[in-house]
Amino acid sequence: MSIILSNVSKTFDGTKRETLSDISLNIEDGEFICVVGPSGCGKSTMLNLIAGLDRPTSGTISVDGREVTGPGADRVVMFQEAALYPWLTVIQNVRLGMKFIGISNDEQERRAMHYLKMVHLWDFKDYSVHEISGGMKQRTSLARSLCMESDILLMDEPFSALDKQTTNKLREELTSIWSETGKTIFFITHSIEEAVYLADKIIVLSDNPGTIKKVVENDLPRPRHIEDADFISLRKNLLSYVRKEVDKVEKDEYDTK
Amino acid sequence: MKKTNTIRNRIWVLLFYVVLIGFWQLIYYLGANVFGWWKPYAFPNPQGVAYSFVGLMEEGKLVIAILYSFKRCLMGFAISVVIGVILGMFISFFPKAGNAVKPLISGIQSLPSVCWVPFAILWFGLKESSILFVVVMGSICSVIVAIDSSFKSVPPMYIKVARTLGADNVSLYRYVLLPAILPMVVSGLRQAWSFAWRALMSAEVMAATIGLGFSLQSGRDMADINQVGMVMIVIILLGIAVDKFVFSTIENKLLRKRGMLV
Ligand SMILES: Nc1ncnc2c1ncn2[C@@H]1O[C@H](COP(=O)(O)OP(=O)(O)OP(=O)(O)O)[C@@H](O)[C@H]1O
Ligand SMILES: [Mg+2]
Repeated sequence: MSIILSNVSKTFDGTKRETLSDISLNIEDGEFICVVGPSGCGKSTMLNLIAGLDRPTSGTISVDGREVTGPGADRVVMFQEAALYPWLTVIQNVRLGMKFIGISNDEQERRAMHYLKMVHLWDFKDYSVHEISGGMKQRTSLARSLCMESDILLMDEPFSALDKQTTNKLREELTSIWSETGKTIFFITHSIEEAVYLADKIIVLSDNPGTIKKVVENDLPRPRHIEDADFISLRKNLLSYVRKEVDKVEKDEYDTK
Repeated sequence: MKKTNTIRNRIWVLLFYVVLIGFWQLIYYLGANVFGWWKPYAFPNPQGVAYSFVGLMEEGKLVIAILYSFKRCLMGFAISVVIGVILGMFISFFPKAGNAVKPLISGIQSLPSVCWVPFAILWFGLKESSILFVVVMGSICSVIVAIDSSFKSVPPMYIKVARTLGADNVSLYRYVLLPAILPMVVSGLRQAWSFAWRALMSAEVMAATIGLGFSLQSGRDMADINQVGMVMIVIILLGIAVDKFVFSTIENKLLRKRGMLV
């Protein structure tokens, strides 16, 4: 499904400053979009608007030609915080969304097993939320989102709490899910390397107010390898766009070099 | 290690009460027999209370009184819960109306329930229904407040997640909001029960012919200070027992499951 933002602005009630200003963006069906930008520039706000959890102050957002008026299971969100329900176990959390949209028990069971195994949590499926670590919560939340098998997936820094190795593995998994299903994915990240690895199109947001500073097309062939010369040069290229804007990203990049 | 600690704690608690009772006996003895501060029949003493307990137990009166009181408290509490939950939900669905009636509710909540007794007797006469009325008036407001404030305390994130996972209103209530508010509701009900129990005693003292409150009153009529003291202790112990073995147990179980109790 395609997502179209036209002249979207957002000013929160009680704040004078515009958080997002005049954002126009076409996301085509099956595209993998990554959004980068400094902390507080409005990435999560943009995601909330697309999710229908918040309304733009001006401008419109439409999904498949229909204006977004509220949240729905066609645009499943993986939030920046894991946001699990503490009275449910890991697997119950994962199955809840599927229950909401009326998926049969057998199919719930099958998908929950598939995705929990993918995020290495099958052995922990009966744990309570308070008995698992932050990264495990994030992986549970990832499994919950993927189980919905929605046409659009909105992900807010889904791998931020994970170690490098797990992150790499889950990036690969996500890419293969994406290429097998043709989902449209809107993915927020702080890591330019991640954006270059995953995206067809990278949106660089600037701060204060949040505007689209640059849209970078990423045509690198898949599967991508972070050591390839093309990969490195695109990464450097992108880094130069965001250098002035994205202090945090820049720092992360140099730290992990 | 932990186990021996709890045993040691229990021994300390037990010891404290043994000493307390000894102290009570001592005060009684000194006051009545040595200094003559009061007449022996004007102050309860542990021994007299124990005799009174055994006496009323043997006659079966105490058990019947307890059963009657419990039955009334349960009925009044049940009525409060049913009506209170409905009103509490109403208030949280319609915040405008809710804000208008909330001062009234907290006003009623702060009114000592004995104030309802004259009304109750005028309206219902000296009947069971007037006692129930007082119990309901004494406890319903804390049910309403508990329901309303527990809905308010649900983190907005819980609702957002449910919506983006495609929950309709029915699912949202059944699978998210109700489980989310459960621990707070239980602690609200716990408070409501203790209000109901207190209201019941006021009502029974004034308007009953059987029950713990009435036993208290008949102790006064017979100038049997030990019976009065004994019934008071029974009222306290029953109050603590229900709170601890029913409400506290449920509450702790819920909280522990959610990792909200260490
Ligand atoms: N509900 C709100 N009310 C008022 N201001 C808000 C609200 N939500 C976000 N903001 C403001 O909007 C700006 C953008 O917030 P947002 O969460 O979108 O940032 P972000 O780009 O996702 O940052 P991060 O990378 O740290 O997650 C911030 O300045 C924040 O203070
Ligand atoms: Mg954010």
